[in-house]
Amino acid sequence: MEYVLSLLPAMLEGTGVTLKLFFMTLAMSLPIGVVMALARITKFKPLNIFMQLYIWLFRGTPLLLQLFFIYYGLAQVGIKFDRFTAAIIAFVLNYSAYLAEIYRSGIQSIDRGQYEAADVLGLTRLQTMTRIILPQMFKRVLPPISNEVINLVKDTALIYVIGISELLRVTKTSAVRDFSFMPWIVAAVFYLVMTGVVQQFFKWLETRFDYYR
Amino acid sequence: MYMLQATNVYKRFQRLEVLKGISIQVGKGEVIAIIGPSGSGKSTFLRCLNRLETIDSGRIEIEGQIMVKNGADGKAVYSPEAEVVKMRRKMGMVFQDFNLFPHKSVLENLMMAPMLVNNTDAAEAEKTARTLLDKVGLAFKADNYPFELSGGQQQRVAIARALAMNPDIMCFDEPTSALDPEFTGEVLNVMKDLAMERMTMLVVTHEIGFAREVAHRVIFMDEGLIVEQGNAEAVLLDPQQERTKAFLSKVLMAR
Repeated sequence: MEYVLSLLPAMLEGTGVTLKLFFMTLAMSLPIGVVMALARITKFKPLNIFMQLYIWLFRGTPLLLQLFFIYYGLAQVGIKFDRFTAAIIAFVLNYSAYLAEIYRSGIQSIDRGQYEAADVLGLTRLQTMTRIILPQMFKRVLPPISNEVINLVKDTALIYVIGISELLRVTKTSAVRDFSFMPWIVAAVFYLVMTGVVQQFFKWLETRFDYYR
Repeated sequence: MYMLQATNVYKRFQRLEVLKGISIQVGKGEVIAIIGPSGSGKSTFLRCLNRLETIDSGRIEIEGQIMVKNGADGKAVYSPEAEVVKMRRKMGMVFQDFNLFPHKSVLENLMMAPMLVNNTDAAEAEKTARTLLDKVGLAFKADNYPFELSGGQQQRVAIARALAMNPDIMCFDEPTSALDPEFTGEVLNVMKDLAMERMTMLVVTHEIGFAREVAHRVIFMDEGLIVEQGNAEAVLLDPQQERTKAFLSKVLMAR
């Protein structure tokens, strides 16, 4: 028990880094994903095709590769970021691509009649999107979004490869140094608590949207 | 001046010609029922009138203003968007499957368009909305959400929502076709009341009884053409065309 307590300060510090990456990624990729989804379904061909290529690129290559590329690769051509900035960029670019596809499927699942009703009532396209389509879309995409957010909790562990001391890296250091399996277990509990909170939060959010069907 | 005038309207979907030269004139306060077998183009025609579908050639005028007419090459050319938008505002539309906004309460469904489109202030919009809900007998459902209403109630809300924009012409696209039979009466009654108030109405319907009782004129369409039209009694009780006869006997047999 004492040993576990001795681990906590470093691990909590690592968790701080993990949470910072987590929240910053969400704060940016959730809204950027909406914009990307709209760009993905626009009738303006060049933008549409660009978005398809973008999504292909960022869903089609490992996040780990994207991290390496942005931190090490770009540095070689003179574009240098500090470690954490590089991590944020990679995560936002990657997660926005996934979220955009989720939003897109949500938008396209809304009945055509909703557009027509808004249209004959005289709403502009922008009003139709912001007042009618997007609010209904958010409700429908909550389950797949919660999946992504839980994945994000765990994906944050990847940034140890570019030398950032997040939770998993701190854990590994302790475990190897002390020749103990205890740090792994503590880390697992940390992750479970974080994903548990996310899960409960989305459960709550879904009940908040229960007032209509 | 006609409330609505369409001349020689043609429309095709890819290789399928749906409207093959349709013309009608609608006078103020006139109630017109459009009947015909499914696939006859009657819904498409109604949707063309308020540009939910664009036409390929022909001419449509709303209250004397040209929404679309043929260019030199015989292809339809629409008036500038801003004008078309204004003309469309004179027309309300009621759909087969209601298309209420599920995430908004009944009251909000009625208030939304007046506030967003006409910049009506909230108090004024709410007052109008409550009056209209009262008129369709649903004042007590103002704070409910659409899913909590029966089909008939939803359709009455949809009618009230269209009326909230204060249209001159009301278009109904098979307004009772998605309803359980027990609920068609309440919707038809609301429509009857509207007709009594001299609302100009275009109703695509399978309700022969309603057409006979309420419509001033019945138009029978088949295969993209108007086969027969005239006053309701004449067309429904004494049809002249074979296709009309065949259709009516089928429809009436089914009841």
